Amino acid sequence: MAELPDEELCSRVAARDNSAFEALVERYQARAYRLAYSVLGSEADARDVSQDAFIKLFESAGKFGGRSQFSTWFYRIVVNLCIDYKRRQRWWSKIVRLRGSLPEGDEAGVEPVSFEPGPEAEAMRHETSTQLAAAFVHLSPNQRVAVLLQVQDGLSSREIAEVLSCSESTARVHVHRGLAALRKLLKKGE
Amino acid sequence: MKMDVHPQPALVPYVRGQLGSDESEAVRLHLEGCAACRAEAASLLATLEEVSARIQELPQPEWIAYRSELRRKLDARHFSRRRWIFGLASLTAAGAAVAATLLLVVRSPTHPVPPVEELALEQQLGSNDLGLLRNYPVVERLDLLENYDVIEHLNELSPAPREQHDSRS
Repeated sequence: MAELPDEELCSRVAARDNSAFEALVERYQARAYRLAYSVLGSEADARDVSQDAFIKLFESAGKFGGRSQFSTWFYRIVVNLCIDYKRRQRWWSKIVRLRGSLPEGDEAGVEPVSFEPGPEAEAMRHETSTQLAAAFVHLSPNQRVAVLLQVQDGLSSREIAEVLSCSESTARVHVHRGLAALRKLLKKGE
Repeated sequence: MKMDVHPQPALVPYVRGQLGSDESEAVRLHLEGCAACRAEAASLLATLEEVSARIQELPQPEWIAYRSELRRKLDARHFSRRRWIFGLASLTAAGAAVAATLLLVVRSPTHPVPPVEELALEQQLGSNDLGLLRNYPVVERLDLLENYDVIEHLNELSPAPREQHDSRS
């Protein structure tokens, strides 16, 4: 089972093969978790969301059409779930803020989901104990995802763009800026 | 074709060998004549390798516990889904039964109940046609016919017990 390609394992998962599912989980658990962590910035949230991504994989493996690589398809699931998670958190924080005293003129409603640094950066700052993790905090979530996918999976700019739902040139910019920032931060930390 | 602008965003895909042949050739030509981009490409490659080597530094959970938790979540989700499907199926079946009943009630031809006099007349007319019903009181006492058979053959019974009975008396 371990030597089978991802796509073959995925088609077996679609046929409800539990051992194929376990093989895919073992193969992707660390990568999915790191990806979720890079977006959400919290170990607990990354754990929950990456597990949800595997559940989604189990339930919708039959929808993988093979038009892209399995990894790209699966990472897209992880990133979408992260975005949903952040959206829900924003809803919740809005409600909590609305229940407190809001200053006059403050806009009520849901902010559009963005990948700009947010509370997750603060969470990461608290949780990071290593130099690399500390440096990651300073990158935007898009840059973190782009660098991570380039480093851990060697995904091409086109594939990163597919995961991030952006253009290929934008994906290249995210990778370049993210790496340039990391270079500076890692040097500073030495 | 040589690039006039510094192709910095293309440097990582270039050093990783991920560019198409045309673009890769254009970047290569640019790097030949641009020391700054060559240095940048080398530096980015070194950073990539450093981050690759240190990627394990990012926090990660205990994987056996992670997978057990995932399995529990998956089982719980499927259990609740099965319950939901069963509930939905039961509800659908009940709805279909109600709908079928309603349909039967609505579509069945309406026979007005005839008044009592008409019923008596129908019974009378029917009895003219049916031989058995013509002698309804006899039919009603059919059980007597069974006894009649016994009575009819009474004389065939052996007289011995009677004599014995008589001698005793």
